[in-house]
Amino acid sequence: MKKKSQIQIGETIAVLFVFFILIVIGFVFYLNVVKGNLESEKEDSSEMHSIELAQRVMFLPELQCSDDIVKEKTNCIDILKLKSAEVVMKSSENEIYYYDLLEFSEVSVSQIYPVEPNPLNLNIYSRPTKDYKKILSTNIPVSLYNPADKKYSFGVLNITTYSK
Amino acid sequence: MEILGLAIVVVLILVAATFVVRFLLLKQPADYRKGFVSKQLSSNTISALLKTTTECSNLDMTELLRDCAQSRSITCDNGKDSCGFAEGTAKYIFSKTLDTWGRSYEFKAYTNDPTQPILKLGNPCKGDIEPSLFLVPILNSGNIYVKLDICN
Repeated sequence: MKKKSQIQIGETIAVLFVFFILIVIGFVFYLNVVKGNLESEKEDSSEMHSIELAQRVMFLPELQCSDDIVKEKTNCIDILKLKSAEVVMKSSENEIYYYDLLEFSEVSVSQIYPVEPNPLNLNIYSRPTKDYKKILSTNIPVSLYNPADKKYSFGVLNITTYSK
Repeated sequence: MEILGLAIVVVLILVAATFVVRFLLLKQPADYRKGFVSKQLSSNTISALLKTTTECSNLDMTELLRDCAQSRSITCDNGKDSCGFAEGTAKYIFSKTLDTWGRSYEFKAYTNDPTQPILKLGNPCKGDIEPSLFLVPILNSGNIYVKLDICN
């Protein structure tokens, strides 16, 4: 009788042991899944942030073409404004203002067509960081308008964002 | 009896694991940026391309396409007609942008029948596409449809 009871206690302990092992395995698995989800959400968030920055740059009044100063045209960059913006955006007195807007990123505009000996290629904002986890580069085709001769060129706006 | 309890526990854990795998692990990652970039790319490329002033008598691409769809009366400095010049310009621009970025595309400009385009570049997409369609009105004779499909 005593021996049978001992066997039953042993069985119960073995079952409990296996049960707890299964619980621990399940918990570890759950933690890994949650960790993976958090990383994926972080990646989504950095991608959304990159889109946000790209849109901010595309609608910067410092760059957009305008009719009679008032009406702004989308998907168009005024070359004369662009050249002034390069100076304004890189000046030390506006550093904080543009950092609030564009954070750690680089913005450049390059002319693709027409082919010229010295095509327009300007880096208007540059604030890279070494402490980043991901770099996302977005190329947006734009029209480059020269109000002096009223001609449109084909250009590309490149926005590189550094995600921490 | 204990063995039965253990079996029930194992079954419950398996059911839970199946749910976790179904809803968490197999969840497709949302690719917001890819969608945004493709949409911007197709619509901005056409819009900027149509506005571009070409080296053919300082005419823009829209004017060249209009002439190409109608009388073909324009001859550019290099001897090409409006269709040839528009095609060469579009080809050059795409080679420096979409081709460089590794994006496949199909660009077409047509009047009524999409199967008989006046201008065609690239190859038809096999999978998902991000299309953009622009209309260029022609005086008294309908529209030119300018279409760019970026393959995803």
